[in-house]
Amino acid sequence: MRTRRRILGSIGIAIGAGMILVYSLAPIAWLLIASLTPEHAPSTNVWDSARSVVYLPRHPTLGNYHALFQTVPFGMFFRNSAIVATGTMTLALTLGSLAAYGFVRFRFRGRGPLLSATLMSYMIPSVVLLVPLMVLFRRYGLINSFPGLILAEATLTAPFTLLLMINYFSSLPPELEEAAQVDGCTRLGALVRIVLPLALPGLMAGGLFAFIMTWNDFLFAFLFATSDNVKTLPVIMRLFALGEPAVWGVSAAGAILTTLPVATIFLGFQRMLISGLAAGAVKG
Amino acid sequence: MSGRNRAGSLVAPPGAMVPGRSRTAPALRRRWRLYLLPYGFIAPLVLLLLTISFYPSLYAVWLAMTNATLLRLSQARFTGLHNVLRLASDGVFLNGLWRTLRWDLVVVLSELAIALPVALFLNLKFPGRAVIRAAVVVPYIVPPAVTALLWVYMFDGNFGVVNDLLVKTGVLQHYFPWLSDPLGSFLVVAAAMVWSGMPLMAIVLLAVLQTIPGELYEAASMDGANAWQKLRRITLPHLMPTIAFLLLLRSIWMANYVDMIFIMTRGGPGFSNYTEAVYSFMLTQQLEVGYSSAVAVAMALLLMMASVFYVRHLARRSLA
Repeated sequence: MRTRRRILGSIGIAIGAGMILVYSLAPIAWLLIASLTPEHAPSTNVWDSARSVVYLPRHPTLGNYHALFQTVPFGMFFRNSAIVATGTMTLALTLGSLAAYGFVRFRFRGRGPLLSATLMSYMIPSVVLLVPLMVLFRRYGLINSFPGLILAEATLTAPFTLLLMINYFSSLPPELEEAAQVDGCTRLGALVRIVLPLALPGLMAGGLFAFIMTWNDFLFAFLFATSDNVKTLPVIMRLFALGEPAVWGVSAAGAILTTLPVATIFLGFQRMLISGLAAGAVKG
Repeated sequence: MSGRNRAGSLVAPPGAMVPGRSRTAPALRRRWRLYLLPYGFIAPLVLLLLTISFYPSLYAVWLAMTNATLLRLSQARFTGLHNVLRLASDGVFLNGLWRTLRWDLVVVLSELAIALPVALFLNLKFPGRAVIRAAVVVPYIVPPAVTALLWVYMFDGNFGVVNDLLVKTGVLQHYFPWLSDPLGSFLVVAAAMVWSGMPLMAIVLLAVLQTIPGELYEAASMDGANAWQKLRRITLPHLMPTIAFLLLLRSIWMANYVDMIFIMTRGGPGFSNYTEAVYSFMLTQQLEVGYSSAVAVAMALLLMMASVFYVRHLARRSLA
């Protein structure tokens, strides 16, 4: 009786796990297959080919990846995304963690209202900011520039990093710094020697989130980057979705390469990122 | 609250020093420096947000009360509430309210309907759980623009894999042009959105599940409670505050969401996927910055109540 229940339980778990794997990963697998499928499968007649879905290519090829770099300046778009994401990450992480430390470790006049106001900025929808930022960026020559894009993306990432780092600093015991100060460390000395090393995992999670958010963002990039030399990858993904270039395998190759950096970061720092994700919204 | 009491000693301004104590200039300067130090930490971020968030959003409110277009910005005239009247008689805006609500409800509730069982499942102990948990989060990491592209591809009317599978399994007789059908395109975009957004909810719910003390379940088992009763009486009550909070947060985000809808459908066919956010975005692209701001600001005001509630909630917990 008991063993039978256990066997049934294992079967249930296997089924559940299988369903989750298929739901989450099958679309990605399909994208990967599409990127490896040569576009013109030999020996199909013209009328058939439009409707033939190839599930497993008989001759998988990297040709689509090669063609991708021939048809669009993909390397440049990739570089642009990297510049914007790294820049935003640096800006948001520096300012966000400094402010978070200030809010957590000090009691000062106006602390509550200032904290509410900065967190409130997280709730200002990007749609509201699009128009005024566009007008202002045009006035100050920030359209089609990396600084402009980085500033626009920071409207999202800076408050987010602040929230994440507030959680993180709150979880560090203040006694350590106090002990360091008693031992003759200055306040800033304690910050550099004690807090920074302790906060490193939190800083990394915050930075990686900021990077991923910016890498993935479409809206600001679409409006503020109209010339090729600053366009980021999500903007190119939209062109691909419109059917340009008209070769699906090539689009799929581009989509895989667009996903690769963030997927690598995620798989590499999974545990840290998942707990950060949960803490960011739950613990407050 | 204890923080605020403690605050008293640190907050005391430099002038208010105990009389009789020697008040040398360096000591005073030191005192000032200590007083200003916290502001030094938060000032850079506050300045940044003032320039790129707060000032622009006030500017948006002003623009919403003008007839500005991007190309003739200098000739923009203040028209007061004219844009509001225009909204009240604008069929796209008025129907957009319903479309926004539909989008919100379908996406957010579907996310919850999938995330809750997934979170409960991930809370079980079984070998390979970490792998499954990572797999759950993967769609959240994929750039939404890639997800949009992928869904367009999978639901293509001519060579989409979904049509192929549905026809092969006999669910459909013929290929269905999902993205050129008003309802079909809505469902496909919503499905893509749910796929992309559900992991966040699942992970947050899982984190809460892991904080429920095991003794509660043990005690319930002793009292002879079955699995369903434990779920109903212990698990769900513990999850409820988080669920309420997630629904609120997610609804606000989704009401303002443009990316996926715009990339996959441009709001079409016709106006069938024009939520207010998409409408505002399309107006921006037509350089109608005044009216576009009016739409965005009107929508933001409608969501304001919820936002204020949310921020107070966050601030209270952060200060505690």
